[in-house]
Amino acid sequence: MGITFLLLASVVIYLGLAQRALDRMRLSDRGALVVIAAIIIGSFINIPIPFTPFNTTVNVGGALVPIGLAIYLLAMAGTGKEWSRALVGAVVTAITVYIIGSLVNSGSTVEPAGRYAVLDAIYLYPLVGGIVAYIFGKSRRAAFISATLGVLLVDIFHYVWLLRNGAPGNYNVAIGGGGAFDTIILAGIVAILLAEVIGESFERLSGGPGVEGRPPELVRGLQKPEFSAPGERNGDIRVEAESGVVSDNRRKVDLDKHEE
Amino acid sequence: MKSKRIFIILLGMLLVVAGVSLLYHLSDNFFLKPAFTTAGFFNKETPDHLVGKYTTIVDEQGSAISVMARVASSGDELYTSEGRHYRVERVQGDKAEAKFIGMDSQILAYNEFYAGLSVAVVKNLVEKSQGTFAVYHTHTDESYVPTDGSDSIPFKGGIYQVGKSMVDKLQGKNLQVNYDQTPHDPHDNNAYTRSRRTATSLMKANPSAIFDVHRDGVPDPSYYRTTIDGKNVAKIRLVVGRENPRMSANMDFAKQMMASANSLHPKVVKEIFVGKGDYNQDLMPTALLIEAGTHTNTREEAAAGVSMFSEAIPVVLGVSPSAPAAPTVKRPAGTTTGAWKALGWILGLTVVVGLGFLLISSGSLDNVKKRLSGFGREFSSFLGPRPAARKPGERGTKAVLEKLEIDKNPAANEVLKERKDDLTKD
Repeated sequence: MGITFLLLASVVIYLGLAQRALDRMRLSDRGALVVIAAIIIGSFINIPIPFTPFNTTVNVGGALVPIGLAIYLLAMAGTGKEWSRALVGAVVTAITVYIIGSLVNSGSTVEPAGRYAVLDAIYLYPLVGGIVAYIFGKSRRAAFISATLGVLLVDIFHYVWLLRNGAPGNYNVAIGGGGAFDTIILAGIVAILLAEVIGESFERLSGGPGVEGRPPELVRGLQKPEFSAPGERNGDIRVEAESGVVSDNRRKVDLDKHEE
Repeated sequence: MKSKRIFIILLGMLLVVAGVSLLYHLSDNFFLKPAFTTAGFFNKETPDHLVGKYTTIVDEQGSAISVMARVASSGDELYTSEGRHYRVERVQGDKAEAKFIGMDSQILAYNEFYAGLSVAVVKNLVEKSQGTFAVYHTHTDESYVPTDGSDSIPFKGGIYQVGKSMVDKLQGKNLQVNYDQTPHDPHDNNAYTRSRRTATSLMKANPSAIFDVHRDGVPDPSYYRTTIDGKNVAKIRLVVGRENPRMSANMDFAKQMMASANSLHPKVVKEIFVGKGDYNQDLMPTALLIEAGTHTNTREEAAAGVSMFSEAIPVVLGVSPSAPAAPTVKRPAGTTTGAWKALGWILGLTVVVGLGFLLISSGSLDNVKKRLSGFGREFSSFLGPRPAARKPGERGTKAVLEKLEIDKNPAANEVLKERKDDLTKD
């Protein structure tokens, strides 16, 4: 009984968090739900990759969907700066995680997880990915890209390690094999949430994104076309805007710059 | 006005920090000291890959209560087979000082309970249990020096034979066991992310319990070696990860396993160690990490140990709430289900951290109210009809921005921001 409730509650909270996190990734609410559904259903699909030295499989939900989303975000990014920030973030994440997880915390008689295994790998990836991405790009999307591609890169490092150390041919490499609970997904989601908490706190503490005194062209350029969205909603905004109450003398508009 | 706003933001951050620290203290641990220092990290005088590097846990009187080939940190806990509960208070080099907390009432109750189960009842339960079990190894190079000639044989360690003896024992009882022999080399911390994939694929068969079989790395074989029923046996340590949000459920399972195994074969399980890490135990409340002896024990000793331990598995799952068969014996009084405790923790933390974040992101209590009231509306948008296709144009960005220029009312802008958040969400 207790266990059933526990399982239900944790799954609901996990998926709820995942949905809120994906919401921030240039996806609509509906889009985020579709991605979650794809991750869950895709968890059960492993695609074998032929002509590789080991039994290599790629899981749809645990690898293809999140990596596809990361590539989509990169493609939508537009500016070279955003590209390079996200990719550098991914490489730095991968190297850091590899050093901590594979070089420092190793040794055949260090049990069960290595000498400095203070933080489990499932938390290490998102923590490093989220922090690195925030330092490089101050961005939730970059956090997601860094964390997911970072884990993938570590998998590639490991593949090279296997080749160099003569792993047996029947070695299984299941990229994203954990499906919805794979480290790739966990890393991506926790990294976004981390960036969100850090980002929102800093933005709020610094008084929020202000537009006062900024050139109107800049403010206009930073707005999104979707801002106007459906006509009726737009009407709502106008009504509420007219009937608003004074609560702050600072003018605020959410500059997208702070969220990219 | 401004100070009030800052106060609210700080309150929100405080809530988030409080929640996160609570998560950290999940194992009722309020005596934290840094286990990790940059100086120690680069200190090459205590290299970490040396064979025979281990931690001794001593009690307040200075006598050793446990040795293990890992670094203990303050807050780690130890439960001995007699039910003595210790918590590590201080770590100096390879010595960790633990405080005696008291006798663990749960273990005492379980010990009494399983000791009272007659053999007939046990058999009966075994027949009833129809669950499947899963066994895998995260560190597949682990080997036993006296038998295998090395402490590490990449990709095909002696640990496989130890896992096999566990599987054979369970299969001998007509239980279905999925034994996944996927190697996860090299022997490092990232091995857990690789074995996580194996564990999740094993979970697709809906096992009653899942075991990750390891061996320890302390040099002294006599710490684990004993004689049970005339056999040379390497004792077992159960490891429960503290970084698993549902840890109390796994803890409950570990305590039952220890009590039950020890009632069948006295002292075959030496202790339960609660340390940092997750060990993929978040995947299942009945996921457990077993350390079968150490690398200086013989492989046969270790195999005999796990074999004895595995006799208790169907017994425990036959009476545990997660078992497919209806429980025939009531749980002992005085033991609360770890699952409820874990549930309480998770829900409580979600509410606290969620509220804290809401305060930060919305900036004021009024906005929090607005967002919360908007929650229902947002939810209905999932189920409701698809909104009409967007028509950027007549009332486009430009119009709204012009409106913004005219309207100097900042509260309205806050409303606009909320609305814009709803619309764009990125």
